[in-house]
Amino acid sequence: MAMSTTQEQPVTDNYLNHTKGIFSWLFTLDHKRIGVMYLICVLSAFFFAGVYAMLIRFQLLTPEGTLLTQDQYNQAFTIHGAVMVFLVIIPGVPAALGNFILPIMLGAKDVAFPKLNLFSWWLWIFGLIFFLVAILSGGIDTGWTFYTPYSIDKTGAMGGVIPALIGAFILGFSSIFTGLNFVVTIHRLRPKGMTWFRMPLFLWATYATAIIQVLATPVIGITLMLLVVERTLGIGIFDPAMGGDPVLYQHFFWFYSHPAVYIMILPAMGIISELIAVHSHRHIFGYKFIAYSSIAIAMFGFLVWGHHMFTSGQSPLMNTIFSLITFSVSIPSAVKVFNWLATLYKGSISLNTPMIYALSFIFIFTIGGLTGLHLGTLATDVHLHDTYFVVAHFHYVMMGSALIGFIGGIHHWWPKITGKIYNEFWGRIAAVMVFIGFNMTFFTQFMLGSKGMPRRYAQYANMPEFQIYHVISTIGSVIMALGFVITAIYLLHSIFAGRRAPANPWGGRSLEWQCSSPPPWDNFAEQPTVGDCYDYSVLEWDEIEQGYHWKSGVAHPGEETE
Amino acid sequence: MLWTVTSLLTAATQIESGGTFWMPEQASTVAQSVDFTFDVITWISYFFFFGIVGVLILFMVKYRRKTHSPTTEGPTHNTTIEIVWTVVPLLLVTVIFVVGMRGYLNLVESPEGSYEVSVTAQTWFWTFDHPEYGATQVGELTVPVGKPVRLLMTSQDFLHSLWIPSFRVKMDVIPGRYTTLWFEATKVGDYRLLCTEYCGRDHSNMQAIVHVIPADEFKERMVKLASEYVDMSIDELPAYAINRLYNRCQSCHTKDGSESIGPTFVGLWDRVKSGDVGFTSGEKLSSLYGEGTEYVVPENYIRLSLLNPQKHIVKGFLGAMPSFQGQLKEKQITAIIEMFKHFDDLVDADGNIKVNTDGTPRD
Repeated sequence: MAMSTTQEQPVTDNYLNHTKGIFSWLFTLDHKRIGVMYLICVLSAFFFAGVYAMLIRFQLLTPEGTLLTQDQYNQAFTIHGAVMVFLVIIPGVPAALGNFILPIMLGAKDVAFPKLNLFSWWLWIFGLIFFLVAILSGGIDTGWTFYTPYSIDKTGAMGGVIPALIGAFILGFSSIFTGLNFVVTIHRLRPKGMTWFRMPLFLWATYATAIIQVLATPVIGITLMLLVVERTLGIGIFDPAMGGDPVLYQHFFWFYSHPAVYIMILPAMGIISELIAVHSHRHIFGYKFIAYSSIAIAMFGFLVWGHHMFTSGQSPLMNTIFSLITFSVSIPSAVKVFNWLATLYKGSISLNTPMIYALSFIFIFTIGGLTGLHLGTLATDVHLHDTYFVVAHFHYVMMGSALIGFIGGIHHWWPKITGKIYNEFWGRIAAVMVFIGFNMTFFTQFMLGSKGMPRRYAQYANMPEFQIYHVISTIGSVIMALGFVITAIYLLHSIFAGRRAPANPWGGRSLEWQCSSPPPWDNFAEQPTVGDCYDYSVLEWDEIEQGYHWKSGVAHPGEETE
Repeated sequence: MLWTVTSLLTAATQIESGGTFWMPEQASTVAQSVDFTFDVITWISYFFFFGIVGVLILFMVKYRRKTHSPTTEGPTHNTTIEIVWTVVPLLLVTVIFVVGMRGYLNLVESPEGSYEVSVTAQTWFWTFDHPEYGATQVGELTVPVGKPVRLLMTSQDFLHSLWIPSFRVKMDVIPGRYTTLWFEATKVGDYRLLCTEYCGRDHSNMQAIVHVIPADEFKERMVKLASEYVDMSIDELPAYAINRLYNRCQSCHTKDGSESIGPTFVGLWDRVKSGDVGFTSGEKLSSLYGEGTEYVVPENYIRLSLLNPQKHIVKGFLGAMPSFQGQLKEKQITAIIEMFKHFDDLVDADGNIKVNTDGTPRD
């Protein structure tokens, strides 16, 4: 017994090799493993919905359409939208990266309710299964918004509506449980020294997001169930033929789905706050303004749903009020951008892959935010509503901001998650390709929309002058897709052949950089005490380790007071 | 490759006459003020975008990392500047809101004495009724230039939305209620009218043309349109029906024999006359002909299929057809029946219409 231990190589225990076998993953209660499983699932769903996106782009290469029938096209944009929203972007940052990073940032051993956390992941899987059933059992062509009365009409919408609604309902619970878990974890498990205003800004953003998840998601759950009941039993709440109100559905739907926009963007903003500070090695500027702006966005986000309905027949007075409140959301978003810029000022900016994504985020989010002004303004929204201008706007915010932030975050924490360093050269090439491809794909769509192309059109045979914009857009989408393919290749390659990652490759100060890469099974032997997580002056570069460590002679927080 | 790009660019510039980089041609009284609002916001956006990106690039270059262990200094906060960049955007968006709201109120208040058109949206076509003249148009809307027009709109089935890009007006069309929209065209010409609320399979085909014509020709055109078929003899009706009425059928019934949502019109009369049509109920059409039966003669089956289409649904189809009760005059129903009887004389094998409304051959 003693002989064998001495003969074996000493194995460093980490969360990846602590226990073995597929079931030790599928039924794990470890937040890191659950985070990794979410990451794999979400990225697979991203690939799946991305294939549909490419189908859409290729269909629109010529005015008559190239590949798909109208029915197939309508299914393609529905599946693309529904999967991207419900299976990718909403769970993306909080459930995948948040699960992995949040407890470690708090110096905790796990989230507050590990079993509930595992249950959330399984609910995601069940949601996915129902989506697949929807696709295979007759398909679904309602658009991800499921607008009534089309969605409740059995001769209109295709047969996959009910499974898709049940899938979205289940995914809603997955999201609620994650949010609940994070709220409690942040309240109860903060370490010594971490007051609310010493939390990393990623935690503020995740906290604001979690509040929305808990409060808004039940509304969509009830709405989707009403829709199922309406379609199966005909209770007459949304069906105009039975005295119901189809526009009521839009109110219910956007009462959740507008706050859901902030579920998607807020955590990405949190990531950007971390990335900008760490990679410019500079204390974040205006910490409190950024923290408060997350809370402000979460609060105002509940009051603006009516701006999706300016041309729905809603009364002019309502429209005016919703327009006014909508503009209030733009302020905290602008404040964040200015603070990030000010953080760069006199920084030491390292243009590595995560930072390229962070800078791309600022560029793209600025365009996405500013074009939101055109849409929040009543007179111009009437012209722009339901056109490609809207499509371009929400892709700038949801894809170019939320998803780019997510991918930037994956690169930032990849060494921590896998314990490996990816190929930096290809990382930068791919990041630049995604940036260029993205802007080519979607900037042209602003012009398409304002010049007269409605969204959700399977062909535009009567409008041949729009072809040039579609062609540029499709070329851009190919560049972007190649960027993602390269990313997938070098990330996978790094797992098998990458250099071993040091504990702190970028010089981050928040707690996740103080445990090894990959982290040990229980994160920290004892809960650490924290100081100012944006003060990088205590770190220095170690050439041998190729990473940063604590400056010798500088006291750790908690020690100096003793 | 280069040639394709050049030709596409030329196409884009030629057809879009009068448009700008962002907007299509202006052809209504409100277009100018909408575009003004758009331009104000766009210039504010340019200012912030180039400011932010300029600073971003400047910092990226100026503060690029040179060593592994840099020391950075710089303020961690500055309350004055943070209040400034909160309040200045707040003032700017307030201005934008007010400009946008005033323009919007202009869009919703139709002037007294507007010319009324009632609009019916149906999957997947538009019907325009001119109550003043008793005239009906499908897939096209004729309006006088320089006169306010108010559309009173409703839908027979799903949500639709009526958009005329050159007029900068849009409003959803909803089943079970009326919505309204008004415009005053400023230029004679043809403009696109598009459906912008997703409504199922043929959403992207749900388009119409707005013909803006001189005001002094308008009355004459409407009177002619209203009475076009009234004096026609039965021989003239098929040509009228294929040109004026078929537009309402085309989204579900093809004229080239191909499959669609409803049965094709090619050979329809032969199938109906022989009764060789099976229904989803299992019944056969031929069993419903003769004395004392439901239809007695084949013409009755077509008539009732138009007025009460859900009664019998042809096998293999979903029964998506709406009722045309009240939308078709008796003589128009006769015209449709005559159209079926002479379908081969009206349409060639590729589905192209061979005759004009007045019966003359099309070139």
